[in-house]
Amino acid sequence: MTVNELVETCGFLLVSGDDKDREIESGYVGDLLSDVMGNAPPKCIWMTVQSHQNIIAVASIINAKVVLLCNDRSFEEETLKKANDVGVTLMKTPLTSYEACIELFKAGFNEKGAARSVE
Amino acid sequence: MIQYTPDKSSIDELLEKLGDYFADMPASEIMNPNILTMPKDRTLWHTKELMRIRKISGVPIIDSERRLIGLVSIEDIIVALEKNLISERIENHMTNKVVTVAPDEALTSIVAKFNRYRFGRFPVVNSKGVLVGMITKKDIIGAILERFRLMYVHDARRKSALEGSTDWFEKSLISGDYVEKSSANFAFNIDYTDVDMVGIGAAELKKYLIANGLDDKSVRKISIATYEAEVNVVIHSGSEGTIYCWLEDGGSVKVRVEDTGKGIENIKQALKEGFTTASDHVRELGFGAGMGLSNMRRCSDKMMVMSEVGKGVVVEMIFELQGGK
Repeated sequence: MTVNELVETCGFLLVSGDDKDREIESGYVGDLLSDVMGNAPPKCIWMTVQSHQNIIAVASIINAKVVLLCNDRSFEEETLKKANDVGVTLMKTPLTSYEACIELFKAGFNEKGAARSVE
Repeated sequence: MIQYTPDKSSIDELLEKLGDYFADMPASEIMNPNILTMPKDRTLWHTKELMRIRKISGVPIIDSERRLIGLVSIEDIIVALEKNLISERIENHMTNKVVTVAPDEALTSIVAKFNRYRFGRFPVVNSKGVLVGMITKKDIIGAILERFRLMYVHDARRKSALEGSTDWFEKSLISGDYVEKSSANFAFNIDYTDVDMVGIGAAELKKYLIANGLDDKSVRKISIATYEAEVNVVIHSGSEGTIYCWLEDGGSVKVRVEDTGKGIENIKQALKEGFTTASDHVRELGFGAGMGLSNMRRCSDKMMVMSEVGKGVVVEMIFELQGGK
């Protein structure tokens, strides 16, 4: 699934990142950084309510492609700056993480989302 | 007295080897303070039931002030059964002459008592005669491991890493060799004053590893583990820290993260998933999920942590690369 499809089909708002063809292969929901570190699969869309700049380090280390900020929160200024530096796509939505998952599911994105491995 | 230590010989051997390093450790640090006791006015049958249900082989008997007045062992129970005394009060049939240990008694002396008396356990009794704990050989092993801050027991090479109390700051925890920090392929000083900067070191290391052609999976594991170690330095140590990385011959990577800060107070707790000592502020930021150490352990092939309260923490991890570099 591409960033473009996330915008068009799921209605997520693109905040930062130019690469609309960027592909995500799986997903993860988490607000505890270590939990995300330990369990989020690579090339995922990471849904969270954390908006501070540390999420960029986490996203970049686990190789998450998109960070989706839920609950209508806003990214901090520094977060946006850093996302540009390391090339993480930032998106946001008024939906809760759970509702965002449903949107992904409805869009047919249900294959690898449950993958739980560091591998 | 009967002993129920199935792996007795290996425990004895380990005690003999390790005893020297921890000769001064006091009983109060070794003992298990949570013990099952019986008041003296109960019956032997009660004691037998307690021993059966809780699977223990000896029960200390106390008076109303928690002072130790005796001990009932399985042997005492057998004798009571044979002589049909099982429904009688404990105090008339217990072992009166109990060999005890003082809270400040050193490990060497305790080990000597184990060897001399061949009992399975010793009650720890303070100067007022009050029972404060029990020590079995298992407790000794546990306490040694605790003090070791040892999570990964490698092999005999570890011996040399342990000589001297804080020498481990200069030596590899895993190989026991002196660490030549200047020879590290990668080094990064962690800025502990700024929570926002957490992860920069791990991200830099990731870049470095990619530039050196390591495979994606290995890079991911190493970066995650390093990130967690870096977070720990920033959130918990209150001191500067350093990340070192060596690309070793034979296709492995060694990462060592050290600080000179507060140290880990209770490694047992620290290792439990979900346990954290992080402040509310950093928890709100999503740190302090209590999964840092377990993430590190899961990502690395070998890992060892040493810490002493007030002296800092050293974490060493080895990552075996898939199919070499």
